[in-house]
Amino acid sequence: MMRADAVRGGDSYIVFTIAGTTYALPSGEVRHMEMIDDITRVPNAPSFIDGVVFSRGQVVPVVNLRARFGFERAAFDLRSRLIVVQTGSRLIGLVADAAREFVAIPPDLVQPPNEALAGMSGRYVEGIASMGDRLILILSLDRVLNFAEPLTVGTAE
Amino acid sequence: MQDGPSDGDSMFSDFLDDYFAECDEHLMGVRRLLLALEVSVGRAAINRTVLDELFRHFHSLKGISGMVELRAAEDLAHGMEEYLRVLRQGDATLTAEGVDTLFDGTQMLEQVIGARRSGAVSPSVDPVARRIARLVGPSATGASRAPSAADPASLSRPVPRWRCTFAPSADLVARGVRVDTVRKRLSSAGEILEAVPRVTADGAIAFEFVLAAELDDVVSAAWRADGIAIESIVDEAPPEEVPPAARESAGAAESELAPSGSVAPSHFVRVDLTRLDELMRNVGDLVISRARLTDTLSRVEQRIPAGDWRAIQENAIAIDRQLRTLREGIMRVRLVPVGEIFRRMPFVVRDLARETGKRVRLELRGQSTEIDKFLIERMMDPVLHLVRNAVSHGIETVEERLAAGKRPEGTIVLSAATAGDLVRIDISDDGRGIDPDAVVARARAAGLSVPPGTPDAATLLSLICAPGFSTRDESDRASGRGVGMSVVQSAIEGLSGSMWLETEKGTGTRFGVELPVTIAIADALIAKVGTETFAVPQGSIREVVEVPVATLLQVERNEVVPHRGAALPVLRLSRLFGLPETTRDRLHLFVVGVGGAAIGIAVDRIIGQREIVVRAIADSLVRVEGISGATDLGDGHVVLILDPAVLLRHMRERPDRIVTGRKGTA
Repeated sequence: MMRADAVRGGDSYIVFTIAGTTYALPSGEVRHMEMIDDITRVPNAPSFIDGVVFSRGQVVPVVNLRARFGFERAAFDLRSRLIVVQTGSRLIGLVADAAREFVAIPPDLVQPPNEALAGMSGRYVEGIASMGDRLILILSLDRVLNFAEPLTVGTAE
Repeated sequence: MQDGPSDGDSMFSDFLDDYFAECDEHLMGVRRLLLALEVSVGRAAINRTVLDELFRHFHSLKGISGMVELRAAEDLAHGMEEYLRVLRQGDATLTAEGVDTLFDGTQMLEQVIGARRSGAVSPSVDPVARRIARLVGPSATGASRAPSAADPASLSRPVPRWRCTFAPSADLVARGVRVDTVRKRLSSAGEILEAVPRVTADGAIAFEFVLAAELDDVVSAAWRADGIAIESIVDEAPPEEVPPAARESAGAAESELAPSGSVAPSHFVRVDLTRLDELMRNVGDLVISRARLTDTLSRVEQRIPAGDWRAIQENAIAIDRQLRTLREGIMRVRLVPVGEIFRRMPFVVRDLARETGKRVRLELRGQSTEIDKFLIERMMDPVLHLVRNAVSHGIETVEERLAAGKRPEGTIVLSAATAGDLVRIDISDDGRGIDPDAVVARARAAGLSVPPGTPDAATLLSLICAPGFSTRDESDRASGRGVGMSVVQSAIEGLSGSMWLETEKGTGTRFGVELPVTIAIADALIAKVGTETFAVPQGSIREVVEVPVATLLQVERNEVVPHRGAALPVLRLSRLFGLPETTRDRLHLFVVGVGGAAIGIAVDRIIGQREIVVRAIADSLVRVEGISGATDLGDGHVVLILDPAVLLRHMRERPDRIVTGRKGTA
């Protein structure tokens, strides 16, 4: 019998875009993806929080990755996706501009991030994969979610 | 409560309520007994107790329906009662058609009573009534009127009953007298109605049989010689005068013989849920009073001698503890056996198996597992849907099963168990399993995104629960009835539950559902501030007032409004939460806190009152002051629950911050 939690993709990633850059998260950390529907604003929450949604009966905070990475927020459109990720028992929704693909990335294509990688998101990048002519930044979920880090650019507070 | 003469209409409606409640009980009994009766099809000896019980239920249904002048129900019940009478007299053999007709007749009876209850137009009973009449036959119908006036009790005790107890011993066994030979001997003399093993006072095992038979002295003497104790069972009163409790326990004994026996409600009290809610509210009031008392006490602490103060503190702590126990006790009263969901399932399975020509056996386990009444009501449809799916998609046809080397009869197991604060409900079948390829193909066709590779069980589950997904043709009405899997999933998640799937092609499928045993439920007022909606627990609100915006006065950095001869400070949620100010000229205020400490929490307007399911906001990212949790008003949208106590404290401690708010931070 297959158990729901038994199989987790090893080198399978979910690929998504934010402000023209392609990012990836291991698909094992992604619970599911959904269209962005109705996010309830939470007053006085950190500025990169769009609000909360219900997912699997839990109240799930929604992190706007654009705001988190120091970009301008963009209006949601049909391509916008909520990527619900899980670390431990914690569920968190990440807003991406678009997310469609599962991609298998062979481990030998993944390089450690370049020291000179510019911009906010560099801090959250665990590795960089070159797939043909495109670069995919592999995110460290822990670091993206580590909100103890001071927030700088683009997070008006 | 009222002693005086009451309004005739309300008296009749109370009477009707009683009628419907009583009908429910009889119909429940009928359903259970019909399933037990079905095993007797074609047999000469029908289980007597089952017939007697059924007869009594229909007899009562006939009587009470007559009193409320629901003629269609009265006639149906009468027809079925007559058929049972014929069966009891041995004038007819129970046929499969007869059982089907009783099932259909019972269903029609339910519909007729249901229509009366909801004020709908009653469906026509004629086709079913004619089928029942055909069963009874012309001769029996003609003769039936006279005996129907007679006491049915005379019919329910045509054969004397005996309690025969057999305690095996070494020397009896040596003589070849064992429990199976005793059983054989008893059944050759009459009908065994009950067989129960008992532990005797000295710790040995004894078997107790209830036997319906004509015993003469010779036989009983021979039995006694072989260690069988015999005593006559005398009914103390005719069945019609037997108190309901005794009747229920007779039904309970019977259910053990039934193939899918259900829980016997032998010592339950029917309580209106609103009364429990009222009790819960009263406890809430007590909690608030207790908090006020603490407040008052802390103000006078300095003036009380230390020894006395300690005694007061001890009492206060005791009251706290007792309050908590009381609260938990009331929550426990709301728990009902999950059997309330299960007991409908044998019918559903039976009907659906008949429609699809499959052979299905339903096993029920753990029906006495208790969960909150609120959950029972909301889990009925999801479980129903999963069971229907198991019959129509899971279990194969007899031919397919035989070809696969399986037993012709498929098995569905519906089980419930508690684990800590969770209750787990499993629906499993030994059918064909879910074919991942078929699911993937179907999902692609439906335009769903499918991950590459062979989907695991979690992926399969999310695919079949995706809106717009259905593995069969839309014409497959069995599973199309009611709700789809996406609705099942959202219902379960709406109750803070979760669902998972295990399946193996060719072997079977299991759906597991896990739910909290109780959930926090509160009465709340729903209010609008700008475009946002908030819920405010009613227990924390002392008063609701509507004030013209023009009456608000600016006093230094606070706004106040004259209220009950004092100046009530006003906390505008719009300012605290950075929401647009109302454009209306009136505001609603929730008054919280007491006396000089009271404040008014201002919202644009109150839009309703609801019972809400409180869900915690666990993640620190979105835990903010003044918000205690979240709820769903039924549309899947999150509505935040305000915490008036925190807002009150906040206002008292940092009024300046509230007025400034966070307006500039966006």
